Amino acid sequence: MNRTTKLSATFALIMAAAVTVSACGSSNNAENAASTTNANEPVATNATEPAATNDTTQTEPAQTAPEVDVEITVWDKPHADDLDKAFKESQFAVFEAKYPHIKVKHVEQTKEKEREQFMTAVAGGEQPDAYLNPYPDMESYIAQGIPADITDLWNSFEDKASYLPSSLNAATVDGKIYGVPNSMYVTGLMYNKQMFADAGIDPAAALKDWDSFGAAAQKLTNPGKGTYGYAILGMDWADWFFEYYVWQAGGDLTEKAADGTAKPAFTSDAVVKALQYYKDLKFKYQATQKNVVQSLDDNQKDFYTGHAASMIAGSDWFGGLVSKGMDLNNIGFSALPAGPSGISPSQVGGNYWILNPKASPEKQKAAFTYATYFTSKEYLEATLQFAKENGIFPNLLYVRSDLDLSKYIEGMPADLVANVQAAANNTHLEYFLKARLSPYIVKPIQQVLLDEKTDPLTVLKAAQDLAQKEVFDKYNAELKK
Amino acid sequence: MGDPDPIAGVEIISIRKLNIRWMPVLFLFPSVLCYVLFKYYPLLNMIYVSFFRYSIVNPPGVFVGFSNYTEFLSSATFWQAVSNTFVFFALYLGLTFWIPIVQALLLSDIRRANAFFRFMYQLPTIVPAVAGILVWKWMYNPDFGLLNYWLHFVGLGPYLWLNDLNMTKLAIVLPAVFAGNGISLLLYYSAIKSVPTEILEAAKVDGAGPWRRIWTMLLPNIRFIIVIQFVAFMSGVLLAYDNIYVMTQGGPAGSTTVVSMLVVNTAFQQSRFGISGAMSMFMFIIIALLTVLQNKISAEKD
Repeated sequence: MNRTTKLSATFALIMAAAVTVSACGSSNNAENAASTTNANEPVATNATEPAATNDTTQTEPAQTAPEVDVEITVWDKPHADDLDKAFKESQFAVFEAKYPHIKVKHVEQTKEKEREQFMTAVAGGEQPDAYLNPYPDMESYIAQGIPADITDLWNSFEDKASYLPSSLNAATVDGKIYGVPNSMYVTGLMYNKQMFADAGIDPAAALKDWDSFGAAAQKLTNPGKGTYGYAILGMDWADWFFEYYVWQAGGDLTEKAADGTAKPAFTSDAVVKALQYYKDLKFKYQATQKNVVQSLDDNQKDFYTGHAASMIAGSDWFGGLVSKGMDLNNIGFSALPAGPSGISPSQVGGNYWILNPKASPEKQKAAFTYATYFTSKEYLEATLQFAKENGIFPNLLYVRSDLDLSKYIEGMPADLVANVQAAANNTHLEYFLKARLSPYIVKPIQQVLLDEKTDPLTVLKAAQDLAQKEVFDKYNAELKK
Repeated sequence: MGDPDPIAGVEIISIRKLNIRWMPVLFLFPSVLCYVLFKYYPLLNMIYVSFFRYSIVNPPGVFVGFSNYTEFLSSATFWQAVSNTFVFFALYLGLTFWIPIVQALLLSDIRRANAFFRFMYQLPTIVPAVAGILVWKWMYNPDFGLLNYWLHFVGLGPYLWLNDLNMTKLAIVLPAVFAGNGISLLLYYSAIKSVPTEILEAAKVDGAGPWRRIWTMLLPNIRFIIVIQFVAFMSGVLLAYDNIYVMTQGGPAGSTTVVSMLVVNTAFQQSRFGISGAMSMFMFIIIALLTVLQNKISAEKD
């Protein structure tokens, strides 16, 4: 047998083995497929049929503790170096005392690659009974049937009226609820008050609109001193903050029709204007860092070390910046400068407790009790008290409406508190299909930031054509299946 | 003396065949088991998954035949990643593969303090790869990086390094030029030292200069180790992920997105495990073909 024949035989053997294994599993596959409506069609389920696998029925109020012992697994064990490790562990003990029948196995998740760890656990049948999941993944996870449908549990939950209605937005699809709101933040423009004062710039006037901000950021840039006006986000998450500029210009990156289909709006006037403004910040105003593709951590570092005068930030970042040595009185926070449309929407983000759809009804009920306890007034007031006693600036946006923040923010800069709350007046969820579209949008942003000769419309058109073919056409086709 | 009984002969052979030596089996079993569990099972499972629109909650999902394959094969994003992967391969081959061979050749001629130099070559390998890459990333910073600072003393730069679409790939490969060849160097050095000195001395007496001795005697004698190293190098570079991810996350503008990165992103960011498996299978076939081709060329030369 010559080498070519041997090679062919080897591949034939591998492929035959693959087909055999595939065929062996097919009956089982058919069963699974039939029993789970569109569970493997993320797109279709998302738009029209909320995960049909999450059909476990719960009718009793969540507050009712189960009579028999139930053990649940929760991925919330604090890391050894967490500032609030002792506080969290004390709260675990409070929960256990209050609900003695619920035994909680706390599992520590490593700080890197959280999404990969979670997806690996789901694929391996080890999904935790309760897991804190960020907003951006909710759309995709709900479509795949990863979070349990907790509509019945939520509707029978006595304390539900105390939660902000808007806190449920990112976890609600077709009227069904898939997550217990845990935390919220709103984004805005964070600035260094001292640097603005040194440059003789009035923040209120400078942060009014795109033009005034560009001019101020230019004035704040001094290469000789190693300082610059605005830390732009140009790395592989560039679409995250860029979408705010699109909203400010009066548009969005994608459009979702009533029938669930979607189409790109990359070449719309708003997106082109937003990208042109990004280009201007870099090349016309020369107000950004040279390394425009540096990480978000590096942007934060530039800010708290006094190299960057401003950056986009979440309302829950204050504590981290102060712990790095920044003076809280030196941090300003404002709604984002208004764009050509005259508005300045902020993004609202945060995370939800999601439950395992394959867990038993008893476990789901116990996990729901756990999730609602850790978003209860009692618990959140304890966290606020802990923050106050330890000089930690609290997040000023909570998922509940019955918290009186005033007694916990004494001594905090009043303008900061007012501005964070003002930024929350006009909020927006992230653009539709972000999980699949992100690389297609990041590419033109980076092209424009890295090459002055790049025409925004040209690169956006190329990105839109590619996204249409590789994402939208397939998404809309899957929807019709 | 007549011929031995043919039937009795057959019995003896059968008994000998059944005479299993259990000790080697015992020693081999753990590694074979690990290979089957952690190499062959995932490989077969990957092939299996690649034929499904995979559902992570209710695996394996819907059987879609070869549609995952046709989908990525018709994707411009995939072919851009393939192109990037092979450009990286060419850069690593041209800039790094030969370095430990040359270093080993030079080292083999150093008599004094040879052990010290071998130790010095090994020293950089104790730095964790990711830590080394992070240091380089910091050195590349166009605002505060050391590299531009040093280069300005010799009238070069400033360069944008990872911010320059034409320079990013080179910037990723450059650290490998300066460090990370320690083990390869030792393998080549050992192979060179195994070449009988009598042959080299005889060639020297016959008038063969250093270059001729290298080309006609040393390199042919260490070709077996070069071939083995090349196969490992090829699969390592074509499946490179960590160093590129830490340095650029595949950016800017997709200029350093390689197939392995696309495989991970498709699986874990988009939850499309079927297509991810299909792309992995594609890379498996490409690497297998290149390895067979390499072995064939090498065998023909022998």
